[in-house]
Amino acid sequence: MTGPGPMRESFEDRMATVEFRVAPTAHITVDGDSCRGCSTKACVTACPANLFVPTADGGILFNYEQCFECGTCYLVCDTEGAISWSYPEGGHGVVFLRS
Amino acid sequence: MAEEFDVVVVGAGPAGSAAALVLARAGKSVCLLERGPFPGSKNMYGGVIYPRILDGLIPNWWEEAPVQRWVTRRATMVLTGTQSLTVDYRTEAWGRPPYNGATAYRPDFDAWLAGKAVEAGAVLACETTATGLLGAPGKGGIRGVRTDRPGGEIGARLVIACDGVNSLLAKEAGIYGKADPHHFTLGAKETLALPARVIEERFGLAEHEGADFEIVGCTEGVAGGGFLYTNRETVSVGVVLHLPELAASKKRPEEIIASMKANPVIAPLVAGGELVEYSAHLIPEGGWVMLPGLVADGMLVAGDAAALCLAAGIWLEGVNFAIGSGMAAGETALEALDSGNVSAPGLAGYRKRLEGNFVLADHRKLRRAPHLMLSDRVQHRYPQMICNLTEAMFTVTNPEPKKGILAHTRIEARRAGVRLGQLARDTASALRTYG
Amino acid sequence: MAPTDPGPGPVLVARKWVDRRPTVDLLTGEVSTDPRSSGASEADEAALEWGLRLAGVWGVGVLAVTAGPPDAEAVLRPALAAGAGGAVRIDLTSPPGHLAGGAPSSRAVASALALVARTAGSRMVLCGDLSLDRGSGAVPAFLAGELGAAQGLGLVSLAPDPDRPGHLGAWRRLDGGRREELALAPPWVCSVEGGTARLRRAELAGVLAAGRAPVEVVTAETSGPAPPHPARTGPGRPRTHLLTGPDPTADARHRILALTGALVERTPPLTLTLGPGEGADRILEALRAWGELPGEEFP
Ligand SMILES: Cc1cc2nc3c(=O)[nH]c(=O)nc-3n(C[C@H](O)[C@H](O)[C@H](O)COP(=O)(O)OP(=O)(O)OC[C@H]3O[C@@H](n4cnc5c(N)ncnc54)[C@H](O)[C@@H]3O)c2cc1C
Ligand code: SF4
Ligand code: SF4
Repeated sequence: MTGPGPMRESFEDRMATVEFRVAPTAHITVDGDSCRGCSTKACVTACPANLFVPTADGGILFNYEQCFECGTCYLVCDTEGAISWSYPEGGHGVVFLRS
Repeated sequence: MAEEFDVVVVGAGPAGSAAALVLARAGKSVCLLERGPFPGSKNMYGGVIYPRILDGLIPNWWEEAPVQRWVTRRATMVLTGTQSLTVDYRTEAWGRPPYNGATAYRPDFDAWLAGKAVEAGAVLACETTATGLLGAPGKGGIRGVRTDRPGGEIGARLVIACDGVNSLLAKEAGIYGKADPHHFTLGAKETLALPARVIEERFGLAEHEGADFEIVGCTEGVAGGGFLYTNRETVSVGVVLHLPELAASKKRPEEIIASMKANPVIAPLVAGGELVEYSAHLIPEGGWVMLPGLVADGMLVAGDAAALCLAAGIWLEGVNFAIGSGMAAGETALEALDSGNVSAPGLAGYRKRLEGNFVLADHRKLRRAPHLMLSDRVQHRYPQMICNLTEAMFTVTNPEPKKGILAHTRIEARRAGVRLGQLARDTASALRTYG
Repeated sequence: MAPTDPGPGPVLVARKWVDRRPTVDLLTGEVSTDPRSSGASEADEAALEWGLRLAGVWGVGVLAVTAGPPDAEAVLRPALAAGAGGAVRIDLTSPPGHLAGGAPSSRAVASALALVARTAGSRMVLCGDLSLDRGSGAVPAFLAGELGAAQGLGLVSLAPDPDRPGHLGAWRRLDGGRREELALAPPWVCSVEGGTARLRRAELAGVLAAGRAPVEVVTAETSGPAPPHPARTGPGRPRTHLLTGPDPTADARHRILALTGALVERTPPLTLTLGPGEGADRILEALRAWGELPGEEFP
């Protein structure tokens, strides 16, 4: 056993513990134009997979590949039409084994 | 149309598998659709199932259910950064049949339960996402579902939507209004590997025994709570966070987990645990308040899809509510199929069934709990106050004589910014809610 | 008059059930697998898609086959759903003394597959190029040997001749970005690289039927205990050779010359043009001469 205190791993290592069977097409899309007018940017910190990256011009860069399919993003976003949300094609996306 | 069934059940979580099992046993043709590669692959939760609801459905379920440990120790912890107060209950009775709670991995448990439905004759189609409904309420009713496969329409006399917390099908049917983020919490957790022996030593457990810790006051000021459960060779540690507060706090879920793990009370329990899976999922927390209509013409909704998860503070029970409502949906569907009336009025027996058993009885009884538990006082003021009060009670301040508990309460309530009237009202409300 | 051509039979698609995300214990090298993260490799998925395409062009059937435990049927059902007409699982029983956890040898798998191919009258076999776990790519080669078939291994593209069932052009990579084109006539065994074709999405009716379709089970015996997996724990190291240093009595210049090998007489590099059989013999001879095959570990 290593000493007390939490083990800290990088976010990539954390996500590497999860299996994602990446679908050929995105199940969630984010409309960058809507985001430019958004002052909360609530998705950026709330998304547990950290998939929303703010860009220098006030927009959002989104990558669907390591998504938990949880639904947090569309619920915390108050800009109508910014996020279009659905599930990935059957058989793809996140696979939990020890949850 | 690929095929016609009596019933198509969408989602092979506990609700869907229970519904499919009831129907298949009664000889109905049932198609059970699951979007994941196997049942349970998309499903995460905290970690304890209360499977007594299975007694009638699968006798001696405990001999075959994929269980990690039997919970014999249940503790509720109130934490501040530097203090902790724990109510810790242990009983050997929960470690013997018929047991009480069990830790289990959902990918194991859900696959097992779905397997029971398949054994009974249900046709399970995995890797298939239902993308919409055939037909609509009113206009001839719902007559099946569309899926994302070529030639992917399935006809059915009844659809049972058990598609989980995002309830896309119930929304399409108009049963469920636009979702309000105030009624949802995000659960995020880490599964940490530790040797079985170490877990047993740290938590004071015998082999096969498990512990269930619910934790208040560990979420960096974001309304919610934490949990810590023991599996055979892992512990599950995570947090449940109220969505609007999480968003407003600008804190990240994994950072809140890290800070809880660093708490001096929690740290020694999880030290050295290697992260083997990180996961996240939503919980419908509205309970009674957000309960949607449960039926439409040709459709029933069960489990999280109908917000039937019980998230009332120290209780976080969803799997048993999903199974209970899935069974009731299956029984109602049987009746409706046999009577030939699958319209919404023909399905009205569903709600009665739920009211007659624990599913809606518990929800009605605990209807104020979600609001109370997520209130500012319970979340932010009481943990500090209770810990300070306990500390004051047990701190020996000789030569000063001991103060009475009421005097301490008055002092600590004032320090925590709680008015006594409010405290009395909350106590009364807690008694009404939980009493 | 020649007997009527029996035709090439169905396309046999061999699929191996492997864990796509095994966990390896960093200390012991022990590999643990989980049936739920197991399935067919990307190369095996591509082989199935190519098989379905070829069969579609020639109007023949596809037979999916796997060698493995009952759980391995998990790779046959998707094949049935996607359009294979039949499925066979070879239950490889272990002879006494078989190491627990040891997978059957490539040769044993190949001879079991050959048996299924013969029974089904199939003269066309498709596989993925490498299996994910053992990864030597030897099964298709052994299989071609067993069947006396032409082999096209590690292919990236296949082009069926629509007029002559069983005849196809095939391409594979060579070093230096070059391609080799093969013309194959049955019997043949081809293996394809992963990612060369994306498996079609099965129709819903196929998926519903596949769940209920029967899988034929045949038993075969493995020829002998195979090495456990992984075959070797610990890092691979070349054999040690005793090197004698330069003559310590010589002067510095000669010692350096001796160390660098300059001006020393040696066997010059040799370029030979030989057929495959002779070439293999010549390589073995050289290895033997250099002392690399002390125990003659290779057949
Ligand atoms: C962090 C957290 C902790 C929890 N802790 C506990 C606990 O300790 N004890 C407890 O009892 N409960 C707990 N719960 C609640 C419990 O997990 C849920 O209430 C329960 O899983 C609900 O079951 P269900 O069958 O309704 O839905 P789910 O389990 O969500 O199943 C829905 C199924 O439908 C499938 N599906 C969804 N949409 C489609 C579609 N369109 N097509 C095909 N398939 C689809 C999904 O893949 C999934 O398999 C917790 C939940 C969370 C998030
Ligand atoms: S997705 Fe929504 S919350 Fe996120 S930046 Fe865009 S508009 Fe704002
Ligand atoms: S669904 Fe969840 S994990 Fe996926 S992008 Fe939205 S918030 Fe992130």
